[in-house]
Amino acid sequence: MTTLVDVPASAQTATRPSAPRRRRGQTWPFVLILLGPSAVLILVFIVLPAVYGLWLSLTNTQLTGFAARDPKFVGLDNYTYLLTSADFLNSLGQTGTFLLFSAIIGQTVLGMVAAILLSRPWIHGKGFFGAAVLMPMVVPEVVASLTWASVLATSPEGTLNRLLNIFGGEPTAWLQTAPMMAIILVNIWRGLAFAMIMFQAALEDVPAELIEAARVDGAKAVQVFRHVTLPLIRGPVFLYLLLTTISTVGVFGLVYFLTRGGPGGQTRIAAIYIYERALQFSQIGIGSAASIILLVIVLVLGAVYVRLAKVEV
Amino acid sequence: MKRTYVAAAFTASVVAAAGLTGCSAGGGDGSDGSVTITIMETKQTNIDAISKEIPGFEAEMAEQGKDIKVELIADVLTDEQFMTKMTQQLIAGQAPDVLDIGENMAISWSSAGYLAPLDDYLSEWDGWSHYYPAVKEAITRQDGQVYSLPSGAGVLNLFYRKDILTELGVDTSQPETWDELIGRLVEVKEKTGDTPIVIPAGTAWGGGTWGEGFMPLLGGTDTEFYDTETDTWDLESPGWLAVFELYDDLVSNGLMPVEDLQNPNPWEPTKYEKFPEGEIQVAAQGTWGWKFDWGPNGATPIEGLVEKVSTWQFPGLRSGDKPYGWSNTGGGYAISEDSENKEAAWEFIKYLSTGEPLAEQLVASGAASARDDLDDVAPYSEEPQLLQAGEDLGESVFVVTGDGAAQIGQAVASATELILSGQADGQQAYDAFVKDATDLLGPTLVKE
Repeated sequence: MTTLVDVPASAQTATRPSAPRRRRGQTWPFVLILLGPSAVLILVFIVLPAVYGLWLSLTNTQLTGFAARDPKFVGLDNYTYLLTSADFLNSLGQTGTFLLFSAIIGQTVLGMVAAILLSRPWIHGKGFFGAAVLMPMVVPEVVASLTWASVLATSPEGTLNRLLNIFGGEPTAWLQTAPMMAIILVNIWRGLAFAMIMFQAALEDVPAELIEAARVDGAKAVQVFRHVTLPLIRGPVFLYLLLTTISTVGVFGLVYFLTRGGPGGQTRIAAIYIYERALQFSQIGIGSAASIILLVIVLVLGAVYVRLAKVEV
Repeated sequence: MKRTYVAAAFTASVVAAAGLTGCSAGGGDGSDGSVTITIMETKQTNIDAISKEIPGFEAEMAEQGKDIKVELIADVLTDEQFMTKMTQQLIAGQAPDVLDIGENMAISWSSAGYLAPLDDYLSEWDGWSHYYPAVKEAITRQDGQVYSLPSGAGVLNLFYRKDILTELGVDTSQPETWDELIGRLVEVKEKTGDTPIVIPAGTAWGGGTWGEGFMPLLGGTDTEFYDTETDTWDLESPGWLAVFELYDDLVSNGLMPVEDLQNPNPWEPTKYEKFPEGEIQVAAQGTWGWKFDWGPNGATPIEGLVEKVSTWQFPGLRSGDKPYGWSNTGGGYAISEDSENKEAAWEFIKYLSTGEPLAEQLVASGAASARDDLDDVAPYSEEPQLLQAGEDLGESVFVVTGDGAAQIGQAVASATELILSGQADGQQAYDAFVKDATDLLGPTLVKE
């Protein structure tokens, strides 16, 4: 015989916590211990330096000279100075050109073309093609810069000049005659692989039946891409644009090693300008203000991308 | 559940241990009374020279009952890279105890308070009385104190390929004026098609554009560009424009290798390739060219150097100017203000700045002695070019400057870059220079 005893709900609550609450109560120390170190590291190495950078941007701090001994709060003077400085505005313009042609147009378009080509079943040697495109991505930035410095070298021994010579061309000082074009091409070369990988993954998620249906309805390849594929991969495309914008605005080593912002400031993108001001001219206050302005611009661009993509990041 | 806590505790311990390990750093003081000091060198010849002297110093200290060890930090860098890197370390209090620095660094860092004044040490050292008065003047900073002791001194002149010019039938006597020299350079260009002269210019050459190019030209025609009374830069002093116009003349006549000068590391194609090959025939160069650049163990040795190469003094630039050499003495060994081993560091500097150890370093780097008692000390005594440079030092020109030298150097580099890239003539470059320099120096460092 079985005897059933009813226990009042209130008594249950009093004697035992509910399962989800108990789980929460028992796991939070574990979560805290695991997340704590990361949170501390982020706080110490990212948040605090950023806040300190913001503070520096409001001072006339210098790294060297007598001025380094007695920095003063100058309010928004550094921002006013920069936003009325032809040099800084010019560097923002150079950054815009570099970003537009190397990342937004170059990497994105060519990355998409490469991804589409690699998704075609009739393409042979995909492994070789994919590896060739991926290679620039794994080469360290300094090595890539030195390699391209050799390719674009002024002397007749430069790789590109040797190639030109085969066709009877005269040696050209590429980094002097077309410096912006040179760094744009090098950045496209370097960033193409990441774009291709992201777009390849996105294209694989496009249902084949939708494309098939569009073709049955008589759509041509371009129409299929424009009206079916592209809308379906809009999220990854804008996510890529967001990532490449952030990374391209932050490009420093590639340009520094190839042109150092020259000749005559023709490739002085914002990262080079900030480096010069903050570390070469020792004006860390102005350099910090320039960094904050650049950060705000990137955040605005990022917000636009996120809104256009309607993706969660 | 217990297993969960164990895993969590283990993870936390590993992270904490890793963090603490990262925080630990090597100490300088030994608990047994021994002291380890650090010195940083960024040029291979200096690295080799200093590493050779360290055992002798440690042995001498041991004889005196002092247990002092020296750790050499060898990091081959350009002056610009070194200054950028070391500025951060000095601010962070992580700089080596002993630094081997250039003049601009001595000015910039001493005024910021990053270097220890050496006056108290110098006043108790009998070696100090042997330094030439002109050297003492050059290394005394605006606040009247000395922060660096020169390891050597140099005289900048125009080095020229005597063999090539003679073969071309071009006059090799000392040119009295720049007009006369430009006439000869044009003759060389017509006969060879080369760009016959290199003077540091542009941003790619870094601090050398100012220290080894523009400043020697400026100081030879105008010593009033820095006002020591007010510690300000006189940007309206007439020499500035004259030098920018000289650069413009050289570039517009096709006499300077403008493309090479706009590439990163411009000294490589010019001083290390074309001058040794005879494709550049004249180069603005310091005494160290005899060893550091073109000597048997230099960057690019020129076989038969003393037969093939000779020197001219810089010609006069403006009416009434006479030929001159430019002395370079403003840097040297310094002690970081945050060093915990200043006494030991000073002992090492004294050792490096005396007798045979100094003579060996001077020969290795190709510098003249800043002291009057070294001419008979081997191996320095066996180097006629260096001895001659030492003699020339007394007659050479030098202008003592102060805070803002690094900023002036940057503004000059940018303005000469405009000339190299064809974006400005001499006057326009000067105007751009004044604007940049005023901007970089701020109102307190520009003479009204």
